[in-house]
Formats: sequence, structure tokens, C-alpha cells
Amino acid sequence: MDITPRYLGSGSFLGRRDPRLLLLVPVLYLVAVANVADVRGMLLCTAVAWLYYLAAGIPWREVRANWALLLTFTLILVVVNSVVTGADTRAGTGPALFTIPVTGTEMTWTTLSYAVTTLLRYISLSMVSFPVAFNIAPSDLGTALARLRLSQRLAYGVDLTFRFLPSTAAALRETVDAQRVRGYEHSRSRNPFRKLLSLRPVVVPVTVNALIDAEDTVNAMDLRGFGAKHRTWMRELAFGRTDYLVLAGFAVLAGAMTATKILGPFGEVWTP
Amino acid sequence: MSTGALSQQHSPWSINSRTVVFGAVGAALYAVLGLFSFLIPGTQSVTVRPAFAIVPFFGKRFGVIAGFFVGFVGNVIIDLLQGSGLQYWNWSVANGLVGAIAALIFAAIPPISNEAVRHIVTALGALVATALGLLFVITDIWFQEGVDFNVFLTLNYLPALLANGIAVVILVPVLDAAWEPLAKRAGL
Repeated sequence: MDITPRYLGSGSFLGRRDPRLLLLVPVLYLVAVANVADVRGMLLCTAVAWLYYLAAGIPWREVRANWALLLTFTLILVVVNSVVTGADTRAGTGPALFTIPVTGTEMTWTTLSYAVTTLLRYISLSMVSFPVAFNIAPSDLGTALARLRLSQRLAYGVDLTFRFLPSTAAALRETVDAQRVRGYEHSRSRNPFRKLLSLRPVVVPVTVNALIDAEDTVNAMDLRGFGAKHRTWMRELAFGRTDYLVLAGFAVLAGAMTATKILGPFGEVWTP
Repeated sequence: MSTGALSQQHSPWSINSRTVVFGAVGAALYAVLGLFSFLIPGTQSVTVRPAFAIVPFFGKRFGVIAGFFVGFVGNVIIDLLQGSGLQYWNWSVANGLVGAIAALIFAAIPPISNEAVRHIVTALGALVATALGLLFVITDIWFQEGVDFNVFLTLNYLPALLANGIAVVILVPVLDAAWEPLAKRAGL
């Protein structure tokens, strides 16, 4: 089990950008696509998200499992909510194309158009979110959050969390192996309560050992006067001209889409 | 014997080296153990994530900030590792709120001497914190297009509460009982 966050986009266009840009772009994109009901507007946004994703240079073979999981989950969500049950849909004025058996939901062009819009929204949001996961070096995340004016101590906490991940995963492996030597077997029962209780010999020692080991880290930080003064970071981040241009581009997209939702057609479902 | 919540000398709101380190340890634990989940038979998509119990446990033992940090950062890391990025950020906030609310609940509960009662109160307190914290996913109505109140309740909130509720009711008292003697020995 490899729990270490994967830095896959090294050297790509986005990999060379300031990590703060990669954190801010999904926020602006979320503003842009929120409440867009017109599939044409969503296609426009998806094209922008696709270009952004390509700029990340994330190798397909490394993330195809992630995409498969996301697409399956998203497709089920949209099909169940917008098509099968009609729990999340927009009523259309046109004639019914067909009726879903059992639920009796009537499908119109409006309903299908809205379902496609919703699906595109989820997929395009994932496109702008993947670079956060795979194009920010784990060691840069704490620095980036501190530069975004998050509390210095909490930013250091994020930095520390990423440092603890490999050792915690190793501790989990060792504990599972040690318990197996003692005869531990994971429950094959279908009863969730029994399954949870069977996890006690793994979850409890891993947690308690991690807490005991953490005491040493606390003492080391106290001895070095952690939190006594404003913390500085070795890593220097510089927001360059290209970073400003990309950020401005997404800010314009967010502003323009918001304006069209209020004033123009993108707030309504488009029916062919 | 106390409820095992934060000792009197520590404010549940303080941010010191202990808060930062224990928060980071908890978030790493949640991220690592959080990748393991199993489906509840008879449901379509309700998965129990045993590691969720770590969130209210850290809230109870290490305060509001550490509890929030464990839930929020831990969930963000799980999302990052699975590739969803920050798309479901409000679910991460909801996870964080579970930890923070657990801290506030257990800070308000007076000491309980009976061990069995303490375990029951711990389980119930963690369950209430989970129920209240996860209410934040109602923001899906505004942030996720096409989610109305019915969808929020039947497809988002109740399945999540059921799955996480089972985990916290069983595992939080177990974790708490294991940590209690060590916390006393360390003077925490």
C-alpha cells in the first residue's frame, strides 16, 4: 500500500507554477460553474478545465484508477438523481421522449440536457482539482498555506501531517503483520458491528503508538521554542507574471459566468 | 476519575505545539486508516469508514482545534489521495466540525466515575457530535448543483450518519479506554 502523496506533474506547465495558484484556481472555477444550468455554458467551462488539466501533464496510466472511480461514482450519482428517480432535475415543456419503468419519471430533452450539464460540472471540477493532488509537491503545501495567510501554526501542522504519512503507513503495516503472527484475521462477517470490532487489534495499537511517539515531537518543538515567534520558511514562493495571468484568466471566467447566469441565458436549461 | 476529556489546565481552544503535533498525527492516522472502508450489506452505497472514529476521539482528548484539524485535513488528504481534490471541501469541513463539536460536548460534561457509564456517555457524545457536524453537508444544496433538501437528507446526510455513527459508537469508547491510562501517566 503506497500512501505517500504522488507528485506526478513535476516539470509540467502547472508543476512550474506557484502552488498557491493551484489552490486558488479550483475556488474560482467553483464560482464559475455554480448554478450554470445551460449545457453550452458548461461545455465552455469544461473546455477551459480540460486545457488546464492538460497543462498539468499528469500521466494517464498513473491516475486512470482515480478517474475510473470518480467517473463511476459521478455517473451513478447523476443517473440515479437526475434520470432514474427524478430527485434532481428540471421540468421540461416539450413532449416526453420515454418514461423510466418503475419510477415513472418522464424524460424530456430538458431533463437530459440538465443531466448532461450536471455530469459535466462534476467532471470538470475534478479536472481542476487533480492538479491540487498531483502537481503540488507535498513539502510545498505548508508553505503555500502559510503564504495564503493561514495561521503559521496550522500551516506547519499541515506540513507535519504530510511528514507523518509514510511513518504512519509503515506503523500500520507492522501492526497488521505483528497481529497476524499472533493469529489475527480480518473478519469476513457481513455484520458491520462484528467487522468493526475485529478492527480493534489494528486501530487501537496504531493510534496509541502514534500518540506516544508524538510526545517526542512535541518535546522537540517545545525545546526549539515553537510558536514563540513568527515562523519563517526555508522555501521561497514567488508569484510570477504567468501565475498572475492564469489567475486573472480564471477570475475573468468566474466573473463572466456569474454575469451570464444573472443577466443572460446560462442560468436556464438549454433545450435543443 | 474524570470523563477522560481535556484536563482542566488545557483550554479546548488553545493552539500550542501539542495541538499542532497531535492534530497532525490524528490527520495522518485518519488519512491512512481512512482508505479502508466496507459496504453495509443491503444498501447501495453506504460504506463504513472505521477511521472516522479517530475524529471525535481526537476532539475529546486534544481539543477543538485539534479535533477540527484531524477531521478537515484528514478528509482533504483522503480526497487528494483518491484524486477528488478540493471538490467536496464542504464534506471536509463537516468532518472537521465533528471533531470540534465533540471537543465542546466533552468539555461540558462533568466527570463520571463509573467506567461503564463513561463509555456509554463517550459513545453517545461522539454520536451527537457526528450528527451535528455532518449537518454542514446541507451546504451541498448551495454548492453542489441539483441537490435539494430531499436529496441532502436521503442520499447524503442519513447514509453518512448511519455509516459514521456505527463506527464512532463502537470505536470511540475503545480508543478512549485504551488512551485513558496512558493519558493519566503522562499527566494529560
